[in-house]
Amino acid sequence: MEMAIEVKGLQKGYAGKLAVQDLQFQVRKGTCFGLLGPNGAGKSTTMKILSCITTADRGSVNILGYDTATQSQEVRKIIGYVPQNITLYEKLSAYDNLLFFGEMYGVKGKALKQRIQEVLEQVGLADRTNDTVSTFSGGMMRRINIAAALLHKPKFMILDEPTVGIDPQSRNHIFDLIQSLKAEGMTIIYSTHYMEEVEALCEDVAIIDHGKVVVAGALNELLAQYGGRSIYLELEGDVQPDLTPLSQRITKQGRGFRIETDAVLDTIRRTAELCQLRGYRTSQLEVVRPSLEAVFLELTGTSLRDA
Amino acid sequence: MIRTIARKEIKLLMKEKGTFFWLLGMPILFIVLFATVFSNASSATLHVQYVDQDQSQASQQFLKTIGDTKAFQLTHDTTLTTEQQIDKIKEGKLSAMIVFPKGFGDSLKSGNQQAQIMLYHDGMSSNIIGPIEAVLQNIAGKYQEEKIANALTAAGKSQTELKQVLTPPIKVDEKQEVTSGSISMITQVVPGYTVMFAFFVITSMVRRFMKDKESGMISRLNSTPMRYMSYLIGMWVPYMLVVVVQCTILLGFGYFVYGLHLGDALAIAMIVFAIAICGTGLGLAISLIVKSENQGMAFTQLITMGGAVLGGLWFPADMLPGFLQNIGKVMPQYWAQKAMQNVMVHGAHIQDILPNLGVMLLVAVVGLALATLRFPRFMKSAIS
Repeated sequence: MEMAIEVKGLQKGYAGKLAVQDLQFQVRKGTCFGLLGPNGAGKSTTMKILSCITTADRGSVNILGYDTATQSQEVRKIIGYVPQNITLYEKLSAYDNLLFFGEMYGVKGKALKQRIQEVLEQVGLADRTNDTVSTFSGGMMRRINIAAALLHKPKFMILDEPTVGIDPQSRNHIFDLIQSLKAEGMTIIYSTHYMEEVEALCEDVAIIDHGKVVVAGALNELLAQYGGRSIYLELEGDVQPDLTPLSQRITKQGRGFRIETDAVLDTIRRTAELCQLRGYRTSQLEVVRPSLEAVFLELTGTSLRDA
Repeated sequence: MIRTIARKEIKLLMKEKGTFFWLLGMPILFIVLFATVFSNASSATLHVQYVDQDQSQASQQFLKTIGDTKAFQLTHDTTLTTEQQIDKIKEGKLSAMIVFPKGFGDSLKSGNQQAQIMLYHDGMSSNIIGPIEAVLQNIAGKYQEEKIANALTAAGKSQTELKQVLTPPIKVDEKQEVTSGSISMITQVVPGYTVMFAFFVITSMVRRFMKDKESGMISRLNSTPMRYMSYLIGMWVPYMLVVVVQCTILLGFGYFVYGLHLGDALAIAMIVFAIAICGTGLGLAISLIVKSENQGMAFTQLITMGGAVLGGLWFPADMLPGFLQNIGKVMPQYWAQKAMQNVMVHGAHIQDILPNLGVMLLVAVVGLALATLRFPRFMKSAIS
């Protein structure tokens, strides 16, 4: 598949401290690529380099055939950058903000007015066109923040933690929007420290920590390779069961037990038989879906939330 | 893109109610306040208490002569003794008191003894004693003239000889040179506060630049095809327009409300334009040099308030000590105020105020050069 972005040996430091070092990954055209990592991992710095906001000290970034270092103006025209902060003029209306950003991208006149209506409908705020942004909820502001990056119909969207601190309704709107952009063939790079978001939206992922890529690849492959296979068992009553015949890797998890195994179906069958034999009454017995949290734990030795 | 940024900036300015208050409300308030204070200053009367212990025809005549000068108003308190009134002065409750001691009339009539008048005053009120003393000395001088005239007449001198002797050897002729318009406190107050508050535009500029920097807006705009210079010019131009509109409204207020004589309108327009470039040029430099809004506010206060005092915006610069007058000449406000007053009072035209315009434009060029030099570092710190 054709690559939209190629990042090679990227390095960037601030005040003598490296924010990213030897960063390397590729993004396939028309896919959503997740950049997952804890706070301070170097995600925002990477996003700023991809958006031509800042330059790398070393390495290269090629976006749809343009080098960000030497052809930054061309890159700026084809990307839509959504920063982590809400960068809107809160005293102006949604329309005035979009008018401003649209013109900054070179869209003008009737085409811009029409485009403003389209993006407002896309983010579900067409009925708030003339309202002052300061009257919006945090989630609505984030949706306008995204709308402002869509006005010039970019080929590539860079979203830097676009769902921080928002309500579920706005989060769903943003997820639906990203899915629809993907369906239109847009390439998206999505940075977050919420693994659930990557699992829900992205085909490919790079996990970064301390400025380095820990692992990168197709989400399913990473989950299969590092996510671990296990089942979850929860029993009724206050029972201390002996489950050692099932596996050597059993850990207490919540009100039940997580039993790691390479043969999931066989372990489920054997667990059901063991419970029946010993008179344990099961309230839950299910396959645990592999998670990026487990991948991160496996590869870094720390939990994503603790990192 | 410059137009887009400028238009957005104007929209934001229109939404900021505080901007209107600082740039228009406050200066109009100051103009009205000081114009009222100064226009009524001449009608203000100084009250001076007196005690006539002599109760003679001579003391009554002297009091009447003081009253005729209208330099101050005499009051008389019969409820308190002289000592009690002196105590009031000591306590700071009374500024000054004239006492005609017993025997004043007799001493005056005899001509052999010097008649005495006592002037008691509070040490803290020394500023009002000068005028009172001058009036009393002036009246005493007239008595002396009368005494000399009587002596010369008795000696058989003619009226012509008397006139010759009593005519002062030096005569001071006061002539006010005004080519056009008229000099009043309005020609000090209106241009003074117009110039002073025009420089307050720096506050708005610092605030806006800092907000764009701290909110991440500059960083975001850097991901669009925007050029650095477009941002700088787009942020600068609206504030120049603001100053032009502000000065026009304030001078128009002076013209319509106080009948301020503007003089050559083109020359005034040139001064306003120079103030706009100068004030915003300094505003750009400060906005891009300071590291925080508070630091910017401190710089602004220093320039606006310091420039107002040293530049002669509150009162004529000639009233300042010599070294401060020299420092004042470094301030663009001094040249702006002088230029305005020259056009309004002395009928100056553009060619007459070219040096003033030159100094203001020089300050603007320095400000813009500093801003241009500092801009890349400002952008770098804004996006990191």
